[in-house]
Amino acid sequence: MNLFLELQTALARLLIFPGLLFAVPAAWFFLWVERKAVARMQGRIGPPFMQPFFDFIKLLGKSTPPRSGIAGILMRAWPLIAVSAAAGAVGLLPVLPASGGFQGDLILLLALLELPSMCIIAAGFSSGSIFGEIGSAREAVLSVSYNIVFLLAILSIAASQHTFSLQALAQLPSSPLRWLGIVAILVCLPAKLHLNPFSLPNAEQEIYSGPMTEYAGPELAMWELSHGLEWVAATGLAATLIAPALTLWWVAALVFVALTFAIVLLLSVVAAATARLQIDTTVRFYWQCTLIFAVLAVASALFMRFRA
Amino acid sequence: MNILTMMWKNLWGGSRTTLFPARPKVSERYRGLVRFDPALCSGCAICKMRCTARAIEFKAGKGEYTWSYDPGQCTFCGRCVEGCKEHALSQDSECPPIYLTIGELKKSYTLKRKPPVKPAVAPPPPAAAAPAAEPIPGGTQ
Amino acid sequence: MNLWNRLMCYSRRHSPWLFHMNGGSCNGCDIELIASLTPRYDAEQLGVRLEGSPRHADILCITGPVTHNAVNAIKTVYDQVCGPKAVVAIGSCPATTNVFIDSRTLDGPLNRHVPVDVFVPGCPPRPDAIIQGVAKAAEILAERASKKLPVAPVVMPLVGPGCEGACACSATTEKKNEEVQA
Repeated sequence: MNLFLELQTALARLLIFPGLLFAVPAAWFFLWVERKAVARMQGRIGPPFMQPFFDFIKLLGKSTPPRSGIAGILMRAWPLIAVSAAAGAVGLLPVLPASGGFQGDLILLLALLELPSMCIIAAGFSSGSIFGEIGSAREAVLSVSYNIVFLLAILSIAASQHTFSLQALAQLPSSPLRWLGIVAILVCLPAKLHLNPFSLPNAEQEIYSGPMTEYAGPELAMWELSHGLEWVAATGLAATLIAPALTLWWVAALVFVALTFAIVLLLSVVAAATARLQIDTTVRFYWQCTLIFAVLAVASALFMRFRA
Repeated sequence: MNILTMMWKNLWGGSRTTLFPARPKVSERYRGLVRFDPALCSGCAICKMRCTARAIEFKAGKGEYTWSYDPGQCTFCGRCVEGCKEHALSQDSECPPIYLTIGELKKSYTLKRKPPVKPAVAPPPPAAAAPAAEPIPGGTQ
Repeated sequence: MNLWNRLMCYSRRHSPWLFHMNGGSCNGCDIELIASLTPRYDAEQLGVRLEGSPRHADILCITGPVTHNAVNAIKTVYDQVCGPKAVVAIGSCPATTNVFIDSRTLDGPLNRHVPVDVFVPGCPPRPDAIIQGVAKAAEILAERASKKLPVAPVVMPLVGPGCEGACACSATTEKKNEEVQA
């Protein structure tokens, strides 16, 4: 009985809300919001509303170049792994109040959030193109630089609560540590989502399309979908940390959607206002300027733990 | 902070985009398609010699000639317009349209050569006629 | 036509992704192509995205008369674009080699090497004309999806009957003038 209930809640969260049925349209919506907001801020009109959906359908109808050997099998597998990992991360978000069943874990959530960028790095290397390799190397350096801050911030929040359960994270008491962690996570989001100023792996003018150079057709559609689901997962994580603890499930869902929308707009403003930074400037930014806040968060978490 | 005020103004000031398929206005001095007036052409073929891209073709026949112009080959430099003595060519500010097959936009005109205008004969000067009209004096004395 | 085909036609019409390639041009047409992405003309209102890789694009925009050095590159990139695809020749150089008509370094107009769907004349064409050309190419892709058009235009043969001015040699222009006079 318990297993059945767990399976039921896990499937509902993975497939309905905040899973695929909500996340895929939300992914297309957020991609559109970012493009439209950046266009409006640049004085242009921007794409019409259903544009990411039409891009997806059109890509499904294109042919792919022939792929051979183990590298070919791997190349076809990486986008699928990225989509499932991002969808799983969205499904694990603690949006609704606890209702028993499968809850997941912070470690699982962080692993699923990391998998899409690991897949991008692996895809660039297995594509055999020199532009893919350079793009993957840049993506790897970017990942190392922002992940330190990101993981330290979220782990310090978890350590202060003495638990890794996601429900406890959704119901944090208000403290300076919580806001320090939220600010650190928001600063890492542009790098995670490949937005300006940290959009280096997709530098079109230098390396064609970076890791995605050799991808086409339905594989590219899966990459775009995983990018959109990463948007939902990353902004959703920040939103669940910001949102206060609510009891009514529909109020909690509405507040979640509103907060993610606000974070998407904030990221669009940052993306429209900045230019692409070089790789050494990016690494220096994350290791010199923001690392201090993450270290402060960890220190205060440890301090609170050993005082309590 | 400059960029943020610029973005704010763009957000509330509206976009400056011309919505497709409208096209923005061009100035009057824009060098677009070459217009040909067959009534004024005298068939001197100076435009064909001056054309940089060989967009103008001229083929002379017996008593008539063919003049053709291909906007797809033209580079819109305006040398033909400058060189035409009869002002039969002019350039207006319309852009050539997009097309799907080569040579689709080419236009030819077959014109008859105009008969040459003879130069007018000058009338005899009036001083030579006047003494002959005068009656010769002293004939009856 | 069932729902999926209609959706596919609509998507191909409303989501043209470009790849821009320079076949030896003076860069005037390239600058006007980039200018069509600026706020005044804004190609993104049609869903146009300038892509970084030829494998991502549907529409290949080629500028420039085709120089000897560029022929192999253009053929390679054309093969790399994944079908269904369309080619737009921007400027009068790819269509007719314009002022470079007698140059020794050229290899003829573009449709000797790749099948061209839309020609955008001008030297350089205005950005709004380029956007019209791209929209027409997106329409052609949609009509091919709905099977109203044949799959792709053929590459012109080099010489002989049917070459139709594929290279702008004097023999074919003489022939054209005779046809026009008759």
